[in-house]
Amino acid sequence: MNPIRILDVGLVSPMRSQAIYHGIAYAMKPETPDTIILVGPTDPYVCIGYHQELEKEVDVEYCREHRLPMYRREVGGGAVYLDKGQVFTQWIFHKDKLPASLEERFALYIKPLVDTYQSLGIAATHRPINDVHVQGKKIGGTGAAQMGEAEVVVGSLMFDFNFDLMARVLKVSSEKMRDKIFQSLNEYMTTMTRQLGKTPDYETVKREYIRQVVEALGRPAEYSDPTPEEIAVTEELEKRFASDEWLYQKGGLRQTGAVKIHADVYLAEAAYKSPGGLIRATARLREGRIDDLTLSGDFTMLPSFAVGALEQILRGVTLDAAPIRAKVTEFYRNLVVQSPGVGVEDWVNAIMAIKGQAPLQ
Amino acid sequence: MDFGARLESAIRNLKSEMIYYGCDIPEDLLFDFERDLWVRFEDDGTATLGMTDTAQTRGGKLVNIVFKKVGKTLKQGQSVATIESAKWVGPFPMPFSGEVVATNEETFRHDILIANRDPYGAGWLVKVRPTNLEAERGHLMGGADAVEKYKQRIVELNIKCYRCVD
Repeated sequence: MNPIRILDVGLVSPMRSQAIYHGIAYAMKPETPDTIILVGPTDPYVCIGYHQELEKEVDVEYCREHRLPMYRREVGGGAVYLDKGQVFTQWIFHKDKLPASLEERFALYIKPLVDTYQSLGIAATHRPINDVHVQGKKIGGTGAAQMGEAEVVVGSLMFDFNFDLMARVLKVSSEKMRDKIFQSLNEYMTTMTRQLGKTPDYETVKREYIRQVVEALGRPAEYSDPTPEEIAVTEELEKRFASDEWLYQKGGLRQTGAVKIHADVYLAEAAYKSPGGLIRATARLREGRIDDLTLSGDFTMLPSFAVGALEQILRGVTLDAAPIRAKVTEFYRNLVVQSPGVGVEDWVNAIMAIKGQAPLQ
Repeated sequence: MDFGARLESAIRNLKSEMIYYGCDIPEDLLFDFERDLWVRFEDDGTATLGMTDTAQTRGGKLVNIVFKKVGKTLKQGQSVATIESAKWVGPFPMPFSGEVVATNEETFRHDILIANRDPYGAGWLVKVRPTNLEAERGHLMGGADAVEKYKQRIVELNIKCYRCVD
């Protein structure tokens, strides 16, 4: 069995800590080995999910003032404050080497994380769909994506976490709300440092993790380095990651301004919590029909173009549950889409929640 | 040992071992070629398993080995030990289903390089009691067949075996 390549790249710039797995994935060729990257950032930053709208989720002004870079990843999930306290464990695999169903894929990816925590004496378990828990507290989430020929699954070894700054960088409606978020992060999240009373040695834990990967996959692992071509692709992607166009994508409806909005044409939005994550729906409504639609949030949906396709097919549809349901059902029937924890009814509920909302100013 | 006995031993060794590009392929052992391990069936019905010379060479100097517990029953292909060198971490898979009856953990604890020095002797890994041997032994090969297969692999992968001396 071909060995899995391990790229233990240590600490790199915040941007590189995200760009590298995109680069390795997009550079993947048939002969590229399945690869696991272990990486952390030299400095803190904020990272948002692929389907999120930056300004709706992150306190952009605070981040700018405090020189915290913000990057959009091509993986679903939520906005998160990241720093040296986490070692990211990024899998870039060939399609045929991972289970086709996302639920099973997450289970396989999470097993060595859980086993590593358990070997340290931390009672971690896999909480489906894609979380790792310790007695009801979350110790890191995971995400999945397809990039080029590669299948990507990412997560982290949670050594430590800055709860205070995590609560600080999120966009919230009031400071009281921020305090509530901080309290619930404190209550419902944990780290190795909290569980053990001290931070375990990074090298020992990383080594144990690779041992557990080998056990879980039944394949050998070989430490190696990225190729010059993979580095070149990563550097190319960093240019895109640094652009405002990429960071601020989504939310296009707010910025168009080209359409004259009058009494029969207005923007409205709503948020709906589905089992697979928050869905924000922003629609431009014209005489009771969806004229344009943006769907954002911290859900996971593959392939990456699927959300855009769903937004497209709902254009022109009357804002009523039955025709929306029919369109969404057709969408799931015709495309091979996976959105764990988000089904047809969740989209219908999210979009229908717009009805009755006051027009956005 | 007198000269005669030594000569006899040397001749016996010559007969039972084939050395190719430094790689030792003992003809009295059986090999699971795909999993790159050796098997020796013992008189008590157990089987001793270990890394081959090519496997220990490709893996490099061991830094750690973690064994499954004695008494554990494993299926064919499941890992009975995790072997680590500086640049390599690999499972040591069961060539057939069986129960772990002994591990060589104690020896490795004192000398982690034992399998790099003596892969077919003191550096054995585990002893297992097979549970479904008749159905699962068809792929094991020995003697000239094994030597021929290993010769091909050694050339294809450009392996030159070496043993640790320090």
